Amino acid sequence: MIQQLFGFLSYYIPELICIVLMTTLLVLEALVKEEHGNRGKIIGYALALLSITLIFLFKNLGEAPVYIFHNAITIDPFSTLVKIIMVLGTMGAIFLSYSSKDIYTNLKSEFAIMAVGVLIGGMLLASANNMLTLYLGIETLSILSYVLASFKRDESTSTEAGMKYALYGGLSAGVALYGISHLYGVLGSIQFVDMITKLPGLEGTNLAIVMVSFIFFFVGLGYKISVFPFHMWTPDVYQGSPIPVTAFFAIVPKMAGLAALVRVSFIFFDGGSLLAVSWTGLMLLISAMTMTVGNVTAIGQNSVKRLLAFSSIGHVGLMILGIVTLNKAGVQAILFYGIVYMFMTLIAFYITSHLSDMYGTDSYDVFKGLIYKHPGMALIMAAVLFSLAGMPPFSGFVAKFNIFSVIIEKKLYGIALVAAINSVIALYYYMKLAKTMIFDQADGDVKVTGFTPVNQAVIVALFIPVLFLGIFWEKVMTISGNASLFIK
Amino acid sequence: MNGILNWILWLPILGALGVIVTPKAKENVIRMVTLFTTSITLILSVLLYLKFDTSTADMQFVVKFPWIEQFHINYFLGIDGITMLMTFLNALLFFICTLSSWTVEKNVKAYFALLLMLQSTVFGVFFSLDFFLFYVYWEVMLLPMFFLIGIWGGENREYAAIKFFLYTFFGSIFMLVGIIALYYASGKGVDSFNILALQGGKFVNETVMIFGHTFSFEHLFFWFMFLGFAIKVPVFPFHTWLPHAHVQAPTAVSVILAGVLLKMGTYGFLRIAFPIFPQAAVDYSSIIAWLGLISVIYGAFCAMAQDDMKKLIAYSSVSHMGFVMLGLSAMTTQGMNGAVLQMFNHGTSTAMMFLLIGILYERSHHRWIVKPDGSKGYGGLSTKLPKYTTVFIIGMFASLGLPGLSGFISEALIFLGIYQKFTTITVIAVVGLLIGAAYLLWMFKRMFFGEVNPETEEYDDMNAREVFYMIPLCICVVVFGIFPSPLLNVMKASVGQLVDLLAKF
Repeated sequence: MIQQLFGFLSYYIPELICIVLMTTLLVLEALVKEEHGNRGKIIGYALALLSITLIFLFKNLGEAPVYIFHNAITIDPFSTLVKIIMVLGTMGAIFLSYSSKDIYTNLKSEFAIMAVGVLIGGMLLASANNMLTLYLGIETLSILSYVLASFKRDESTSTEAGMKYALYGGLSAGVALYGISHLYGVLGSIQFVDMITKLPGLEGTNLAIVMVSFIFFFVGLGYKISVFPFHMWTPDVYQGSPIPVTAFFAIVPKMAGLAALVRVSFIFFDGGSLLAVSWTGLMLLISAMTMTVGNVTAIGQNSVKRLLAFSSIGHVGLMILGIVTLNKAGVQAILFYGIVYMFMTLIAFYITSHLSDMYGTDSYDVFKGLIYKHPGMALIMAAVLFSLAGMPPFSGFVAKFNIFSVIIEKKLYGIALVAAINSVIALYYYMKLAKTMIFDQADGDVKVTGFTPVNQAVIVALFIPVLFLGIFWEKVMTISGNASLFIK
Repeated sequence: MNGILNWILWLPILGALGVIVTPKAKENVIRMVTLFTTSITLILSVLLYLKFDTSTADMQFVVKFPWIEQFHINYFLGIDGITMLMTFLNALLFFICTLSSWTVEKNVKAYFALLLMLQSTVFGVFFSLDFFLFYVYWEVMLLPMFFLIGIWGGENREYAAIKFFLYTFFGSIFMLVGIIALYYASGKGVDSFNILALQGGKFVNETVMIFGHTFSFEHLFFWFMFLGFAIKVPVFPFHTWLPHAHVQAPTAVSVILAGVLLKMGTYGFLRIAFPIFPQAAVDYSSIIAWLGLISVIYGAFCAMAQDDMKKLIAYSSVSHMGFVMLGLSAMTTQGMNGAVLQMFNHGTSTAMMFLLIGILYERSHHRWIVKPDGSKGYGGLSTKLPKYTTVFIIGMFASLGLPGLSGFISEALIFLGIYQKFTTITVIAVVGLLIGAAYLLWMFKRMFFGEVNPETEEYDDMNAREVFYMIPLCICVVVFGIFPSPLLNVMKASVGQLVDLLAKF
């Protein structure tokens, strides 16, 4: 019995390390003597433990799926790969918080605590194999996110962001729970495996209830990944939150929510049943609306944070298309997209953060003439913007190509055209920022500070995958493909 | 010899790296590195021409490596007769543009690095025989162009750069959908991204469903490809980006844009849209012909109305590329040969015109034939600038199709080809030639004859560098006007193969 338990735990090491990290961080923070003392060592400790987590995750990547804690959690390559993306995103955000002026010095280790907490929730969500774990994951993820959003506690925008996030999040979690309870009522179980056995026999009222319940359930996840029409909170929260928090929000909760959505879609909606057809139809509609609304709204923005918020809405819209096909190629495309999106988003936020620390604002103006002030960073930022728009030879193109490829394989030409037109719109607003950086002359002769050699090295290191995966993407595609094999 | 295409493709990138590592202050070293690279590329492309086997329509100098095996994407290069001409044109024009850019003062290092990168991507488009690789080069080409227009362009450069970029991207994203659809329609097999293997009308019987309606795969996706290429050519009504891009771009970039980039569009029809969708191409040939005709007439009338001479030449490009579309739509041996020949000849003659405008602009800093306030921009140039006038006359007459110069032969061939098929269109298109002669001669009269404008009195005639880089173009225009067989022989087999294929449908 005990041996069996420990055997299970060996797969759960990454999460355990994170839990240990979170609790020890709490203690370490309490030991810091001066309130405004340097938290460098604490941050270093957090990054070191997260790196160890990564090693264990990479080890798990090749293993066959296991179900632990009475089938509440599944550790399969899919969840592991999503966790790798999330851990990398968390590390990126924590590293950024160290140099960012947006996070006050005395709060830097608290940021790490909260971020690791959200990460644990995200890991739970990615691995959830029953409705209860899934809901727990959403809540763990959410509650700490509300605190993160209001981290700049003396600024009204940040407080507003936290409040807005909490209100919307609380409401959506409630709706989701309502849906889950009805699912339990009709299907008689919270275990995914037991629930699906009841699905084919449903008819009449029960089928209708299940359909509506799934939509309610989708509301909860939809808020987390901010799809239309649940995206309203995103720009305000992204703008109000400190930049490292925004970078974190753009990656970790999104990837966790997407992972849960992918898993639920694949487990419950297989084949050509009425439920599956209506679910994929819903996803198609949501995806088209999300892309269009996100991209069209992004055009008029003058704050880089808001721009990235709306563009992230557009990207999620595109990623959801990988679910529509309900095949492994779709999951493969989503995972590849997730990896690339994580790197691109981190770089964009890093550069924005250093510039806005210097100027105290994140409007497009701070990017004016960056090419003359700091050519290297301006070129990297321009490349990342073109990559986000899906231009070759950058990896954003390959990600987009894969999504297009899976939907065209299913002959969904209509949505392919919507996505095509959306990528033209997206190119336009990314190009506006690129234009500001490269064609406009800088106001005055201000030297750009903030790009310390270490920060620059990290940005370059993050940029290498963006470039490399645009040309030699086969290996990562294979890894994503293997990770999508055990989805069910 | 097999690796020669690799050399031509990657040498400019090596040169660009060389420019990047050169210290910023050593501007002359940067210029010399660029000149050295482009001249080696030119020599290599002449070598390529000498080694080229004109008797076969097969791809030559083929290079093929697997790139992404999972999707059967290859690094697959090769050239046939059509691309041989384009390769030579590209190498020649970049060599000349390097010389003409000698006077660029702003940020020399970045300028020449981008110019070399642009050359490599253009070679990439012409060499690629793998659809994915082709698309990558087609798109990447936009990046150096965007920066070259946006940084070194005229007053309204940002607008022009963004418009150029967005327009082309809009067309090419539809092409991407078409490429992926072709990949799945051909069964995801080993050759599903192989442009050559997709050719030959393999999709005639395929159908697709969109929103419950059944369409013929071939006829639908022909338009996807058409959009991508027609914007690049540009065919009316997709031409509106061109005047802006041309007017704002620096001289060398205008030359490249008109000289080779527009040819990528018609090349796309020759290599991709027509051979892969022959049935649709034949069915829609009258639409293509009418669009070509509208481009010819409309472009010519627009050119006539311009007071800015660069805009005038830009619209004349729309008109001349319309002739290429007419030749393509004929689908006969003469028409196709004429179209490919016109691609080459327009490349040389229009390059001459843009270079000449650039030379004059460096002296006067304006391009007005008639200034906005109604006064003459120039006048009586012929008495002050004899050398310049001579070269201008050669370029202008080549452009308007005077017998004995290059433009005449290609236009005559196009008319010969199309007359058998669309008689009405031929008759109307001839009017386009007439208008072409009118606006060019009218411009010439206003600038070179009449009273000497006091502003233009002190202009220097062309210097040795300018004369030197105009000579190769003058030779091309004159020699190929009298003796076009070196060009026709090279493309004969490849064009013949395409005409034979289209004749089956």
